[in-house]
Amino acid sequence: MNKNIKISSLRPVFTSLTGTLFIAAALFSCSKTVNDPSASVSAPSTIDANAGNWKPYILSSSSEIAVAEPKGATSTEYLAELKKLKESMTTVTASQREIVNYWGAGAAFRWNEIGRELSARYNSAPASNADGKYPVPDAANPLADPKFPFANPPYTARALAYLSVAQYDALVSAWNYKFKFNRKAPSKADESIKALLPVSDLPSYPSEDAVVAAASFEILKAMFPGEVPFLEAKLAEHKNSRLWAGMNVDSDIAAGEALGKAVGQKVMTRAKADGMGAANNQAKTAEMITNAVKIGITKPWLSQEFPARPPMLPTYGFVQPWNFNSATVVALRPKAPPLIDSPEFKENMDELLTIAKKQTRDQARIANFWADGVGSYTPPGHWHRKAADLCHSNNFSEVRTARTFALVGTAIQDAGVCCWDAKYYYYYPRPNQMDSKVKTSVGLPNFPSYTSGHSMFSGAAAEVLSYIFPKDKEKLDAMAAEASVSRIYGLIHYRFDCEQGLATGHKVGDYAVQRAKTDGAQ
Amino acid sequence: MTLIVTVMILSRAAYAQMPNDAIYMSKNTACLALSYNHTSWDKYWENKLKRENLNIGTQTTQTAMAMLAVGVTKDFDVIVGVPYIWTQASAGNLKWHKGFQDVSGWLKYRFFNKAGLSLNAVVGGSVPLTDYVPDFMPMSIGLRCKTATGRLVVRYKHTSGVYVTAYSSYIFRSKIKIDRDSYLMYEKLYNTNEVSVPNAYDLSARIGFTNKAIQTEVFAERGACVDGDYIRRNQMPFPTNNMKSTAVGWYGKFQPKNLGFNARVSYVVDGENVGQAMSYQAGVLYQFGYIKSGKK
Repeated sequence: MNKNIKISSLRPVFTSLTGTLFIAAALFSCSKTVNDPSASVSAPSTIDANAGNWKPYILSSSSEIAVAEPKGATSTEYLAELKKLKESMTTVTASQREIVNYWGAGAAFRWNEIGRELSARYNSAPASNADGKYPVPDAANPLADPKFPFANPPYTARALAYLSVAQYDALVSAWNYKFKFNRKAPSKADESIKALLPVSDLPSYPSEDAVVAAASFEILKAMFPGEVPFLEAKLAEHKNSRLWAGMNVDSDIAAGEALGKAVGQKVMTRAKADGMGAANNQAKTAEMITNAVKIGITKPWLSQEFPARPPMLPTYGFVQPWNFNSATVVALRPKAPPLIDSPEFKENMDELLTIAKKQTRDQARIANFWADGVGSYTPPGHWHRKAADLCHSNNFSEVRTARTFALVGTAIQDAGVCCWDAKYYYYYPRPNQMDSKVKTSVGLPNFPSYTSGHSMFSGAAAEVLSYIFPKDKEKLDAMAAEASVSRIYGLIHYRFDCEQGLATGHKVGDYAVQRAKTDGAQ
Repeated sequence: MTLIVTVMILSRAAYAQMPNDAIYMSKNTACLALSYNHTSWDKYWENKLKRENLNIGTQTTQTAMAMLAVGVTKDFDVIVGVPYIWTQASAGNLKWHKGFQDVSGWLKYRFFNKAGLSLNAVVGGSVPLTDYVPDFMPMSIGLRCKTATGRLVVRYKHTSGVYVTAYSSYIFRSKIKIDRDSYLMYEKLYNTNEVSVPNAYDLSARIGFTNKAIQTEVFAERGACVDGDYIRRNQMPFPTNNMKSTAVGWYGKFQPKNLGFNARVSYVVDGENVGQAMSYQAGVLYQFGYIKSGKK
């Protein structure tokens, strides 16, 4: 402070400043890659040898679709296949090895992840056109604007449910034939084959990877018709990875692919007739509103978007559920929400007004973590990811992983169906329709408030996962409760929406748990 | 859109002696500037598509900023600034955000000065002051990355007081952490809470006149990220977007003695993944000696 600094003495200062900048540059520029967690190669703790007896969803039995007997271990054909496999393995490149390890994390695990990524990419609400109308996505022209599908939560719940059911049924079938024909893994048939992935005693014909890949492909190309080239590339890559890894010979793959494809098509037959095609019946809303007013909802829900957007899938509540029938959907419908302007309503509204004024950073964090809004894989995807991680860290077999996805996935779609039934039965307004001071810190969904979809999805998923992973029950229930309350913190739901939704979700999940108790996999 | 805010803080903070000019404080003097900025837009570029959004209406970002510039020598200034920002939207239901954003510091050094031509090196950095939410765009107050900026400012000043200035900067931006652990970048799904915010650069050309009391200039500025993805169709922006904008404007300062005033107007004429913002800024400057000369 007391001496003037001479210019010359500043030169080193400047040099060191430049140095600092270079260090900063190095720090920032070299670390642009984000630490996206990569899943390790799966090492199942059991091969679940009796899974051929587990109960499928769509197939009448695990032998419904025939698989031809493979050539014997000493046949010329099989020996030629082994020789070819050995030869082709000598040319496996480093990048092919990476692909081997990628798929080695698990077939159902990876295809579930692909399903989630597609859901996120297609989770875009159509933009309004010049006339203030919202064009409806067209399945026949999936890449036009708006893209088909709009993979919103009900759509994604259903897409992932079918994906999981197809994988599961195909694998149960595959397990049946694996143990019927008992063809050894190539590296066990010929010890000079050094497989690139862990080899168990699981018979290799038909290939479980090809089964999952083909079944998944059938479902996802129907659910995301604009992605056929992308899916074809994934399918080919997955099949090749098993050859590069020395895990399967061509005939294992071919038989697996044929079986997976047949199961996938069979599962899609159900999908085509489950009522989803009629789930966006906007003509029904007038009657729904009339009914809601009649049962006391004096201010029925109105779209808060400009221009007003037709509500999301008003007749999704009539889509066929998985673990119970349509009568049960009505029976599971939660009790009526508080009358608008009743003391209970006001109390709930006051809570939101308080949060609107003084949302804490932690409330914002929870709301954001569970937001799962547009451009995300939605709450169903969030819970599928949790299921995938749990299966992987618990070293589940391929077939047990698929079973977990199927149980969780069907429960989540059932929750969606029940939730949409309640939403359009009560047609209850969102908080900010009742008071514009309730501005939202996450995207405001464009459909009625009661009950909370997040809460329903999460309750159902946590119920099923807690049954499968009992030592994680406390954590899973806490996650579901947090997902539920996040919608209050995000200012898009009343507390009663969330509490009723979470409780009903748990009830819905219990139907899948009952199935799990008797599906033969205990 | 937040680029408007961010760039404002990074490089466009218009004060007596700014990080982007070649004007220096006298030795042993300092200048405190308090300013107010109002930026708003009702149209934005969703990728390259210029559009309005009836669920936002007009987006407004206001900034109150305190900045201190200290003349260490006649060729070396240190500048520090702290902004408080609040956002709002005239339509829709998006929550408005507010708070202290990022503290920034700058060192400005004139390493060549001959016959009216000066070359100036500026390095700067910024660090978030608070744990604000960076990805609720366009209502967030900033991107919450740490930044480091290197800038070269070239100025030629004629004896008449007319000058031209050009500068270019490169802005390193750190990764950020967001509250959720899944997002799309370049249409790929990332399962992490870490987000890579692209680095950015800016370029500017300015022409003006200055004397002891007055400065007036017109300028053009171009700012863009070096890479980055785009706003997805009909969705909100995201910190990974490649925000680009070209703006033109005017800046003026009147400071006859210790007390002075400045003002700035700018308008975004072209962009991608940003709002077409109109900005107004006004500030009060107070210059004072912090060391009595001759005192030992």
